[in-house]
Amino acid sequence: MKLGKIFGVVWASKKVDEMKGCRLHIVQPVSDIGDKNGTPLVVADPQNIGSVGDTIVYVTSTDAAEAFENGYAPVNASVVQLVDEVA
Amino acid sequence: MIFAKVIGTVVSTQKDENLNGKKMLLCRETDHEGNPLSSYHVAVDAVQAGEGSFVLITYGSSARMTETTKDAPIDAVITAIIDDVQVEDNS
Repeated sequence: MKLGKIFGVVWASKKVDEMKGCRLHIVQPVSDIGDKNGTPLVVADPQNIGSVGDTIVYVTSTDAAEAFENGYAPVNASVVQLVDEVA
Repeated sequence: MIFAKVIGTVVSTQKDENLNGKKMLLCRETDHEGNPLSSYHVAVDAVQAGEGSFVLITYGSSARMTETTKDAPIDAVITAIIDDVQVEDNS
């Protein structure tokens, strides 16, 4: 899992059924001290955890599908936690 | 998931039988503003995208997790047609 900062929203009315109702954020990966780290990516947010400006924890790879209720969705990354503070 | 623009179609008569009936589109990867990057994907179309569409591509083994692509030998699928992208200052 990695830390990232949400800085954008993707609007898509036509999606595959498996992703219906799921918000899509554009996330800038950040380092452990909060610096920009790598290229932005699109992250699904099936549980409506984050919004623009929030720092979040996201999961990548096949495991990202586990964030969905039935564990089945074609996503490469999902938001799983909202970060209050990294101490 | 990555952003891409559909730039063409790939047509073939001889193929793996699990690919029958699936539309293959040639897609140029872009950044979130739609600026083209150097890489491309041949992706299965799961949302009736057309040439010129700004789309979202899911790649790797996760690409098989749709009704259209399950149990098929594919590693890229178009999962959404993008209407709009809104970004805040990323600095």
